Amino acid sequence: MPNLLEVRDLSKQFTSAGGPFRKARSMHAVKGVSFDLPQGRVIGVVGESGCGKSTLARLILRLIEPSGGAVNFDGDNLLAKSPSQMRKLRARMQMVFQDPYSAIDPRYTLTRAVSEPFEVQNVTPEKPMAEEVADLLEMVGLNPGLAASYPHQISGGQKQRVGIARALALRPSLLVLDEPTASLDVSVQAQIIGLLEDLRTDLGLTYLFISHDLSLVKYFCDEILVMYLGRVVEALPDTAAPARHPYTRTLMESTFEPDPKKRRLIAPLEGEVPSPFDLPPGCAFADRCPNASALCRTETPVLSAETGHAVACHHPI
Amino acid sequence: MLNVRDLGVAFGAVQPLSGVSFAVGKGETLGIVGESGSGKSLTAMSVMGLLPLSGGRITGGTVEFDGQDLTKLPERAYRKLRGGRIGLITQNPMTSLDPLQKIGPQVDDVAKLHLGLSDKAARDRTEEILGTLRIPEPALICERYPHQMSGGMKQRIVIAMALAADPDVLIADEPTTALDVTVQAQIIRLLDDLVKERDLALVLITHDMSVVAQTCDKVVVMYAGRAVEHGPVEAIFDRPRHPYTQALIACIPRGLDEATRLTGIEGTVPTVVNYPSGCPFHPRCPRAEAICTTARPDFSVEGDSAAACHFAEVADAQPA
Ligand SMILES: Nc1ncnc2c1ncn2[C@@H]1O[C@H](COP(=O)(O)OP(=O)(O)OP(=O)(O)O)[C@@H](O)[C@H]1O
Ligand SMILES: Nc1ncnc2c1ncn2[C@@H]1O[C@H](COP(=O)(O)OP(=O)(O)O)[C@@H](O)[C@H]1O
Ligand code: SF4
Ligand code: SF4
Ligand SMILES: [Mg+2]
Ligand SMILES: [Mg+2]
Repeated sequence: MPNLLEVRDLSKQFTSAGGPFRKARSMHAVKGVSFDLPQGRVIGVVGESGCGKSTLARLILRLIEPSGGAVNFDGDNLLAKSPSQMRKLRARMQMVFQDPYSAIDPRYTLTRAVSEPFEVQNVTPEKPMAEEVADLLEMVGLNPGLAASYPHQISGGQKQRVGIARALALRPSLLVLDEPTASLDVSVQAQIIGLLEDLRTDLGLTYLFISHDLSLVKYFCDEILVMYLGRVVEALPDTAAPARHPYTRTLMESTFEPDPKKRRLIAPLEGEVPSPFDLPPGCAFADRCPNASALCRTETPVLSAETGHAVACHHPI
Repeated sequence: MLNVRDLGVAFGAVQPLSGVSFAVGKGETLGIVGESGSGKSLTAMSVMGLLPLSGGRITGGTVEFDGQDLTKLPERAYRKLRGGRIGLITQNPMTSLDPLQKIGPQVDDVAKLHLGLSDKAARDRTEEILGTLRIPEPALICERYPHQMSGGMKQRIVIAMALAADPDVLIADEPTTALDVTVQAQIIRLLDDLVKERDLALVLITHDMSVVAQTCDKVVVMYAGRAVEHGPVEAIFDRPRHPYTQALIACIPRGLDEATRLTGIEGTVPTVVNYPSGCPFHPRCPRAEAICTTARPDFSVEGDSAAACHFAEVADAQPA
């Protein structure tokens, strides 16, 4: 399959303004991220809070400007596009947000929420709008009878379905899903995941799926990128691949199974996560890594692949 | 150590909690698991005698601790117990920490108040406990303020405060929910060790079935303000008999076990204003029959487990 998305050396630096008593400080929320997302595949991005997952998502859709790197979407270099060209392209690449409450305007009916993308893009749907909205609601498993409801009249899971319906309105090929189930109860999370699986098959969608939940990512995705402090430290080519990066292994050992017969022996983890404003030289995981050597504390390991399984570590497992 | 029987809670005319029973002994971890709004925190608040603060009251049942019924305990006596022989850890460590005071004195105060230790003895005890919790350089940490620490470190300090009073029972209400998984694993490991080393009775409240599977000896599954199933952890996961427990387990991704497709449970979790009649799970239950909409099911006991379902006896035969 051809690549729908190609991300090259993407970086984003944030600078906090200085004040009378503090220096201006800067940090890389995303640093040198590269990967290919082939048409029809699902890549998962996993990592702990603050590691740069949402920033990466926003960079890819160019909702924020990168400090460096490139994003190619279906052969188009996004960073070379004018705002109006970008707006057109965005119809084909959509985002679903973590918080279904913030994604839809509380003053809009579901009809208005779901038809808004057509207005923004100045697109006239093939069918009458009411029919189009009903179809979209049905597609995400909502009763079209809810069309006149307001967000406060529906549940969190239903709001997330509305968010997905909106994202699907203009028939995108890529969905970037930023923790779409993180604020939902597990019984509702499982419904939404089932819906996303069905939509993927029915509409031939390509997903970038962001989550802090490794079990969920393993369940849902074909490939997995593991992020730590802004960098991709490992790219697992499939969900059965064993961890080669010590951080990925820690992550796996910290993820419990819903089975008392598979209890984990939790190894003690020394050291704290360094401040992103003040990263030590070398590997950012060195303070917590059982394999760390002198080399690790001076030279930053780069992501390199043998046999398609890339890892950024001087002493991979 | 702690024996809760048929607990009910009301706020005015609404009754968000009824018929909750469980028991936990020394060196034992009991999990209370349920989705949001199932009544987990209210259960914790009831045991801690904190309901009056939010305008709630216990409408029935008993909370027996070390032979006495706490529901009849006057507030003065409760105050000695709370944070003393019964400790509480909540999801947000800042509800227990004073942002303006250094860590050392905050932990010292607990031992001074509950064990009557001197300043010096209390500080020695604080440093010793911080050490047990694998906090590096306890003496240094004592001089820090809460805002100078990570979330996981703050949660450890809260655990230290609970331990400083040498409690018999520790109630931990989603102690790791706000934390990253690697930090969660460390806190779970710590709690496990404490239960074993100090013979603590731990009540671990969580919405995460995987945490329960990892660490609990016994489980209570809650739904819509009621306990719907309880029993030893192996039995609950191997042979859940309540349709809600079965469905809940089927909602959890099992990493590599891709043969099982996640299905979810139709509908949504009810809140106190729309708790269903009869069996609270009936609007979402694939096995519901007419009787379920009107008659509340009794517990059907099997071995050490019990499930509140009209069809628990035949539920075994059903695939989860
Ligand atoms: N002060 C209150 N007044 C009225 N109802 C309340 C009050 N506190 C809680 N409730 C209701 O009691 C039910 C159980 O609440 P509780 O906070 O114990 O749930 P929970 O399982 O802890 O949920 P979560 O996981 O979201 O924290 C809910 O329906 C809630 O709305
Ligand atoms: N607008 C911003 N200004 C300054 N720092 C930011 C901004 N947005 C994000 N960050 C920082 O970038 C890092 C990564 O953030 P984010 O991508 O939101 O993490 P995640 O989604 O993985 O939790 C965090 O340390 C965050 O504080
Ligand atoms: S580069 Fe060194 S410190 Fe970093 S993860 Fe690999 S072995 Fe550990
Ligand atoms: S009593 Fe009826 S509705 Fe309730 S769990 Fe059993 S079968 Fe389902
Ligand atoms: Mg995020
Ligand atoms: Mg709670």
